[in-house]
Amino acid sequence: MAQAAQRLIQRVATKGPQLASAAVTYSRPRLATFWHYARVELVPPTPAEIPKAIDSMKAMVKSFQSGHLAQLTVKEALRNGLVATEVLMWFYIGEIIGRGSLIGYNV
Amino acid sequence: MVPPVQVSPLIKFTRYSALLIGMLYGKKRYDYLKPVAEEERRIEGEEKKKREELERIAKELAEASEESILK
Repeated sequence: MAQAAQRLIQRVATKGPQLASAAVTYSRPRLATFWHYARVELVPPTPAEIPKAIDSMKAMVKSFQSGHLAQLTVKEALRNGLVATEVLMWFYIGEIIGRGSLIGYNV
Repeated sequence: MVPPVQVSPLIKFTRYSALLIGMLYGKKRYDYLKPVAEEERRIEGEEKKKREELERIAKELAEASEESILK
């Protein structure tokens, strides 16, 4: 029993650093890629971009009213739906931050 | 590597406003639910106390009547 425990500890002592270094070598290039894209694609809008966003929102409302929605191809509609879903997911991330717990309201 | 896409300002703007609205909503809803849950816990605790008291009385009565049958 004591021998088995000792062997287990030895295994953890040798395998632990190996696993950690493997995790680092695995995630480093992927994180670099993530940062490369996130720095450009995930930044918050600059104040100069906000009027542009409001203008394009107005244009979107106008195109809804003029019935442009029916002229979209299925591919475009699918892509727009995915973008809308992504934005909705940002809302849920905000909800998680606001309530301070990952799963459910911890009241 | 493929150059990063220039994301439309509209998408950026809606993303971050959705995040902000979500944060405010989560905070408000938490603050609304917290006192409700506390009240429920309090009522449940009171009912549990009452139930245990009744059980204790019932047990005492049963023991008393058992003794009288055996004697």
